[in-house]
Amino acid sequence: MRAKLAWMLAPFLVLCMSFSYGQEKTISGSVTDQGGLPLPGVSIVVVGTSSGTQTDFDGNYVISASEGQVLRFSYIGQKTVERTVGTSTTVNVQMEEDAQALEEVVVTGYTSQRRSDITGSVVKVDSEKLGEIITPSVDQALQGNVSGLTVSATSGTPGSTANIRIRGISSVTAGNEPLYVIDGVPVNSGSVGTDGAYSSLSALAGIDQTNIESITVLKDASATSQYGARDSNGVILITTKSGRAGKTVFSINSSYGFQNDAITGPVPLTAAQRLELASEAYFNDGIFGSKQDAMDALLAGPYAEWDANGRPEARWDRAVANRDAIIQQHSFSASGGGEGHTFFASLGYMQQEATVVGSEFERISGSLNFSKDLTKNITFSTNNQASHMYQDAYLETSAYFESPRTAKFFLSPLLTPFNPDGTPNQFGGSTPNPLYLVENNVSDNRLTRIVTNNNVTWDFAKGFTFGSTFNVDLQLYNFRTYSNPEYGYGEPTSGDASQYDRTNVFYVFQNYLDYALELNEDHRFDFKVLQEYQANRRYFVGGAGQSFADGGLQNLDNLGTPTSINSSFNDWYVGAYLGMVKYSAFDSRYVLDLSYRREGNSRFSKKNRWGNFWSVGAAWNLNKESFLADSEWINALKLRGSYGVTGNALIDTNQFQSLIGFSNDYAGEGAGYLSTFGNEDLTWETSHTLDVGVDFGLFNNAVSGSFAYFNRDSKDLLLQVPLSRTTGFTSQIQNIGELNNKGFEVDINFNIINNDDMSLSLGGNISKVKNEITKLPTDPNGVESTITTVRTRIESGHPAYAWYMPTWAGVNPDTGQEEWYVNGVDGATTNNFNDAEAVFQGGNAVPTTTAGLNLNFSYKGFFLNATGYYAGGHKVYEGWHLYLHQNNGYPLTVYNGYNTLLDRWQQPGDNVRYGAPTTGGEPWQRHSKFLYDADFIRLRALTVGYDVPSKALENVGLTKLRFFVRGNNLLTWVKDDNLLYDPEVDVDSQNGTVDPGEIGLETPPARSISLGVNINF
Amino acid sequence: MRKRMTNKFKYILSVVAVLSMLVACTTDSLDPTLAQSKNAEGSITKVDNLYSILKGAHNVLTGAGYYGRDMIATNEVRSDNCFSNGNSGRFTTQGEFEYNSNTGFMWEEAYEVIANANVIINTDVTTLEGDQAYGQHLQGAALILRALAHYDLLRVYGQQHAEGGNLGVPIVTEFKGEDLYPSRNTIDEVKTAIYNDLQTAFGMMDSSYDSSKTIVSKFVAKALEARVAVYFGDWDRAVSASEEVIGSGMYSIIPAGSFVDSWKSDGGANVLFELAFSEADNQGPNALSYIYRYPADAPGGYGDLQVVDDVIDLFEATDVRIDILGYQDGGTRLRNMGKYPDTPVGADNIPLFRYEEVVLNYAEALLETGGDALTQLNLITSNRGATPYVSATKDNILLERRKELMFEGFRFDDMMRTGMDVPYWGTIQNLLGTQSYPNNLFAYPIPIGELNANSNMEPNEGY
Repeated sequence: MRAKLAWMLAPFLVLCMSFSYGQEKTISGSVTDQGGLPLPGVSIVVVGTSSGTQTDFDGNYVISASEGQVLRFSYIGQKTVERTVGTSTTVNVQMEEDAQALEEVVVTGYTSQRRSDITGSVVKVDSEKLGEIITPSVDQALQGNVSGLTVSATSGTPGSTANIRIRGISSVTAGNEPLYVIDGVPVNSGSVGTDGAYSSLSALAGIDQTNIESITVLKDASATSQYGARDSNGVILITTKSGRAGKTVFSINSSYGFQNDAITGPVPLTAAQRLELASEAYFNDGIFGSKQDAMDALLAGPYAEWDANGRPEARWDRAVANRDAIIQQHSFSASGGGEGHTFFASLGYMQQEATVVGSEFERISGSLNFSKDLTKNITFSTNNQASHMYQDAYLETSAYFESPRTAKFFLSPLLTPFNPDGTPNQFGGSTPNPLYLVENNVSDNRLTRIVTNNNVTWDFAKGFTFGSTFNVDLQLYNFRTYSNPEYGYGEPTSGDASQYDRTNVFYVFQNYLDYALELNEDHRFDFKVLQEYQANRRYFVGGAGQSFADGGLQNLDNLGTPTSINSSFNDWYVGAYLGMVKYSAFDSRYVLDLSYRREGNSRFSKKNRWGNFWSVGAAWNLNKESFLADSEWINALKLRGSYGVTGNALIDTNQFQSLIGFSNDYAGEGAGYLSTFGNEDLTWETSHTLDVGVDFGLFNNAVSGSFAYFNRDSKDLLLQVPLSRTTGFTSQIQNIGELNNKGFEVDINFNIINNDDMSLSLGGNISKVKNEITKLPTDPNGVESTITTVRTRIESGHPAYAWYMPTWAGVNPDTGQEEWYVNGVDGATTNNFNDAEAVFQGGNAVPTTTAGLNLNFSYKGFFLNATGYYAGGHKVYEGWHLYLHQNNGYPLTVYNGYNTLLDRWQQPGDNVRYGAPTTGGEPWQRHSKFLYDADFIRLRALTVGYDVPSKALENVGLTKLRFFVRGNNLLTWVKDDNLLYDPEVDVDSQNGTVDPGEIGLETPPARSISLGVNINF
Repeated sequence: MRKRMTNKFKYILSVVAVLSMLVACTTDSLDPTLAQSKNAEGSITKVDNLYSILKGAHNVLTGAGYYGRDMIATNEVRSDNCFSNGNSGRFTTQGEFEYNSNTGFMWEEAYEVIANANVIINTDVTTLEGDQAYGQHLQGAALILRALAHYDLLRVYGQQHAEGGNLGVPIVTEFKGEDLYPSRNTIDEVKTAIYNDLQTAFGMMDSSYDSSKTIVSKFVAKALEARVAVYFGDWDRAVSASEEVIGSGMYSIIPAGSFVDSWKSDGGANVLFELAFSEADNQGPNALSYIYRYPADAPGGYGDLQVVDDVIDLFEATDVRIDILGYQDGGTRLRNMGKYPDTPVGADNIPLFRYEEVVLNYAEALLETGGDALTQLNLITSNRGATPYVSATKDNILLERRKELMFEGFRFDDMMRTGMDVPYWGTIQNLLGTQSYPNNLFAYPIPIGELNANSNMEPNEGY
């Protein structure tokens, strides 16, 4: 492998070291529009090379080029201008307005394309839009801005992951996360955390949002098939900022704000309310002759101290809240360039506190993007991002008693949070005081991430470019916990601690050859061949133990009793060859795209290691046809279509092998055991996607948008096929089963007013997706192997993880007992849960409809932006209702319940939602009462600001000064009044190990209000 | 000029082509590393490899879903010894007979033991390096584990105490065998398979290779055979199997003075086989001990399994076994304080076969076959500070079994095989009712995952 690495590097080094002398000189000039006004931001490239720049604020530019080379000037809404470099060093250009206003260059993966040349479904979101959401992890800023894309934050804890689904879910038990690509190189996303019990930490949180120029989302096969076996779920391309030639621009971006929970959430019972319900429960159970007798007994027993102290209310929700939690983000950048080079450098800092005590996120980051023309036709560029993150995590993914988030539910209201002197009350019992624990225990995630991306291009002949890329994504992760020996769970074992380290390294090498062939003005070809090699190696080591000699010690070395040591090593490798052709005829009137990728992946056995992926795409720009060319009202009209085969290989490593594992031990000695059933035949699941669409711009682009229809058949699903447990295994991963997603997307934008003083635009998108399993494996009797849990069922004819459970029939007004329909639908009811049939409840946890709405308004220097998001058509299930949301012994005698429980049955005739209270400990019974419609609308961002006029700034030496007030998640509307929690939940099945869409006790999203300033000089 | 250009062009193209070929990835270069596991095929080459997997199979037994907790706790909470106070929400479903096919239990774990045992049993020892007689001994041990797992499955899921006919559980004798979708064997077929495995095991094993009480040994085969024979009333077999163990002279009853303390240490003279647990295993909250009691006196941790108040009345004041019991929460909750005493970590070994049970099995089998049961029965009382019985009766023996084996997971099966009705309680020890014998609820439901994956599997009656 080492020799291989050396060879992969060879072309890279060869290019770095080669010298070639050209008569390159510096060209400068200014670019103006039709009216002679300077045009800032005009893109200037030396045709056939990768060197390019943009005009500055005053429309001026500087670029290096040789005589005879062609400079291409392009700008949105203007006709592209080409000028051949002559003897003069000044090239001034006046641009003309172009009706084809969609001509924007979009990064589409291994290539960049003009908007009109794109044959697939591609959406670009620029930095301005992304910046409207202040979040550590940029994926959350996509919510509402891309049609067909759903974003579900898994938690409101700062730095947590979000689930992104593009056009539904393509796989049942393999991964559904899209592929992330930063500056052309695939990178790792997802949670870096080692312990699923604690808050997740997103790898993407390591990328400072203010360094991102734009994000492009690739949705269809023609756009994604170039990424082979990892692109069935869509691709998200992140382009970082680069410098522009000209004088150095310094930029300061700062915001500081305060956050609180975006929703109130369930309100716990007060001690007085709980006493009343508990008294009824004891009476109903026949323990006492009357409710009053029961209350008297309780007041003499567990409630005596509370009663004697004047019946104080503990208000745990207030005790654990971190009101007006701080969120702040600051960045400082410098960008510019000179003779043959450009650069962008930045420093950033972000801090976000959680809305409960004991959790926060902090990041410091830096970046340096540098590009240098080594010779007239060799360019070296390097993009580097580095960050260090700290997350004060906590136990939040289950009903952990020590979590401050769950304290208001799991702590009895009879326990008071504080002593009279203000210190945390150290009460006994099964639920220790989290206020003490957050002060004295530790659970910290730390991640250092360095992404370095280095590229050399060599324009070695007319139209030919050879390039070589070498990328490293290094993630150094550390996780540690400590429970103090004085109080809480660490007390019986004299304290405990653990510490884990993971080094995760990704390498990517790419060598490619581009050839741009212009037969004549009417026929243009772009060829690309590329080879790629990727490797990931993951090293993990850690240990845990207990028994400290003294308080204040937290490290493993001080532990008396080591209880575990763990290690692991995993790796995967991908090798690929890619060929792409784009044919563009008659100034992009007709466009044809072909791509083919052959990829080998270490996740599959030798005989099935290589797979083929391909796509065909075509576009017809009708507005360039003679019959529409003179149309007054059609500026752009494109019909496009694509079909292709893409893959998904998101399964654990080494699954094809039948394995004996040795990670267990017995009686102090190592032990072997059958660990993986294995399947030599394992290979990719494939998606066959049809995408057709129309892009349009009408009435001088006052109305623009697109419509797209897609139909994606996923075949040979990588499915954890249930095995008879008599094999010793519960499942075997096989390529079997089929799944379909189809739907449509509409994007539309209205430029209502657009003049010098005022602009108003309104944009929106709506998407619908229908997900259905079309085929599942069968056993030898021809019976379909469904997968059923207490909440969901996987069965053909239904969406994946469709909700499946008995149907609640309400509380019987005569008896006060909860009842269910015997047949699961209607008619006869029963109070014996085990007699009620489970049925499909309609839908799953993934939204079938999503929509976004954007409003942008400006008047003179003032501006207002708003973004809203709607998700609907899905359902979510409330977890933990047995302990918190049923009138049984758990909330009434041990923990605490929600105040909705007061709507309970007391006497015959009562029509209520909650049955008669009992002190019994009911078994887990999951049914439709706790399944809610999850439709919601959220005002994601609202920004009001003011740009100080540039004339006023000149005197103080500034080029830009903006003040703004920004609110995130200011309003949330939830359709179902009975849904007390935030409807945004984790929709990931974690490779089929959990039911997606259960509401846990995670942190809800935060509502924040921040003040900010942007300064350029 | 044109010619030069063309040459340069060819040169460049060939350089690129050569470089591309050099960096080409081959199928082999994409091989993943196996760092901590081994390929199942071809990695059993030595007798010691069998020992490694045998330990792995023992480790499956120690899981909280099997003998690490649930196997013992589920039986106790369904008996007249214990109920669940629901302090952590655990075992109320089992204790109140509310389980359904979604309620997990030991089905998967038991078949996992069987799968690993089958890999050992079906290996051709003559192809292995090392002491082949030792290899056969290890295969015998694997047969015992396979028999134990089949017996556990049968007593949990078999229909012998329900109304569903003669359905047992599938007998599996091969890993990745011909039939991956087995249907259920009859109760008798499973029983016969268990006896066969145990007899074969006893014949293959050599006591000189037995070095540890934490690995099943030769006489465990006979102890298990006696246990199964008592369960099914095969009394002659129970007599002879018990006599083999007793006749070995390797084990003895723990005397009264050290009975309670014997639970605090491992490998006592009375132990035939116990599962190894250590501080390093750190069962934590999933420990059997943690479900029997709170870590401190006050309600905390789990401690869901509480002892029914009148159980303490079974014991005379002089009986040392009364000291196994104790109170928590200011003297209000009767507890198992003495068996598996390490509450926070669960580092005590869990004995699965001890000599006292063998003696009690022997006594009962003698009673049923007309032998001298009383002598055997009073071997127990005389070593516990209890008054000796004046006569051996079925009731006396069952009572003595209840007292001696309390909290070890035997009582529910004793009630079943003698056809008793089962009382059950709510979380505040309020009597909820009595399940009458026979009853569909006495057999656990076949798990939903099994039924969905294998349509040959018949569900149990009533679920």
